[in-house]
Amino acid sequence: MAEPLQTSTEAPKQAGGFPPFKTDTFPSQLFWLAITFAFLFVVLWRIAGPRINGVITSRRGVINADIAAADKARGDAEAASAAYQTALAGARARAQGLAEENRQTLNAEIAKAKADGETAASQAMAEADSRIAATRIQAKGHVIKAAEEAAIAIVARLTGETVSDADAAQAVKEA
Amino acid sequence: MTLTPMEQFEVKPAMGMDHPLFQIAGHPIYFTNQSLLMVIVVIVASLFLTLTVKPGRLVPTRGQSMAEASYEFVANMIHSATGEEGLKFFPFVFTLFIFVLFSNFLGMIPGSFTVTSQIAVTFALASMVVLLVIVVGFMKHGIGFLKLFVPHAPWYLLILLVPIEVISFLTRPISLSVRLFANMLAGHTMLAVFAGFVVALGSAGGIFAGLAIAPLLLIVAIMLLELLVAFLQAYVFAILTCIYLNEALHLHDQH
Repeated sequence: MAEPLQTSTEAPKQAGGFPPFKTDTFPSQLFWLAITFAFLFVVLWRIAGPRINGVITSRRGVINADIAAADKARGDAEAASAAYQTALAGARARAQGLAEENRQTLNAEIAKAKADGETAASQAMAEADSRIAATRIQAKGHVIKAAEEAAIAIVARLTGETVSDADAAQAVKEA
Repeated sequence: MTLTPMEQFEVKPAMGMDHPLFQIAGHPIYFTNQSLLMVIVVIVASLFLTLTVKPGRLVPTRGQSMAEASYEFVANMIHSATGEEGLKFFPFVFTLFIFVLFSNFLGMIPGSFTVTSQIAVTFALASMVVLLVIVVGFMKHGIGFLKLFVPHAPWYLLILLVPIEVISFLTRPISLSVRLFANMLAGHTMLAVFAGFVVALGSAGGIFAGLAIAPLLLIVAIMLLELLVAFLQAYVFAILTCIYLNEALHLHDQH
């Protein structure tokens, strides 16, 4: 033990030398470096490293899961929107179809009613025409008759002669 | 006691433990001020990266988001430098980064000790990296790992290039360790030098005492710069580890 004691008392006295190059301190330096470095290595390797890594990994996991959930929600929303759009377009198309159909039936009904009305009107017109013609003929007959009678009456009044119907008719015809 | 700028780098027994704890192969092992800081570094780092993070807390607190940020920072660094395959070295690179980062930052506290200002520590860390690269390289490619030293070039250039590649590979532990060590050493030395100016000017009295404000402001500015360097060097150490691992995994071809 004499030698170590000697070095220990000598070490501070060697103030003249360049301290980092004093080789007698090297064994102590290397010994404690080995101990402390190994300790730090084990702590960082076994405890601190996995702990920090665990936090970082789980955070990344949570963020990724959140992003995935958000993506999924957006996808769902987009799908719902697309479904809504198709449903809307379908409904619109059906509504247009119904309206078109409605319009066509209405048009057909209108056309039919118009055609019916026209035939009925032309029929009525033809009937009326024939009736007018008949009436005219009848009226003409009455007028002639009235003229004959008038002629008979006039002749009777003026001359006191009685004119036969045939003569009166002849005279009216000539007039 | 004399206050020299170099004194802060003195490794000496801490907390009155002037006797070696035990011996390894005849070398006495002390509990030193540096040992104390290393213990504090790993405890602070371990507590910071475990207690701030609560499993299942998806909305992080301030502390948790810092822990997560450091985790993802290193994970992205490995992924971009080595691809998917390098992620199995994540615990090692993460430990390396956190150890260096916390050593650098806790070393910035006045009166503490900068673990990474010791070449023994940085060289040990760099050697670990290079040994890992060699082991991984030979495990993955067998003897074909030696193709690392043969770039795609005409044969007459290879005569020149192969020795250069070999030398650059062999100097990696040195460059990796000295970069970190020297940065820390230089920064803290500079701070100590300017702090010495403040004391000297302040104790000179009179008009000089008023001038002491200049180096003091300079110390504040350098302190901010050193905070940046503390992070940057931890980052550089980790990214170079990733780049070396990438070479071991994929040799010279792009992944």
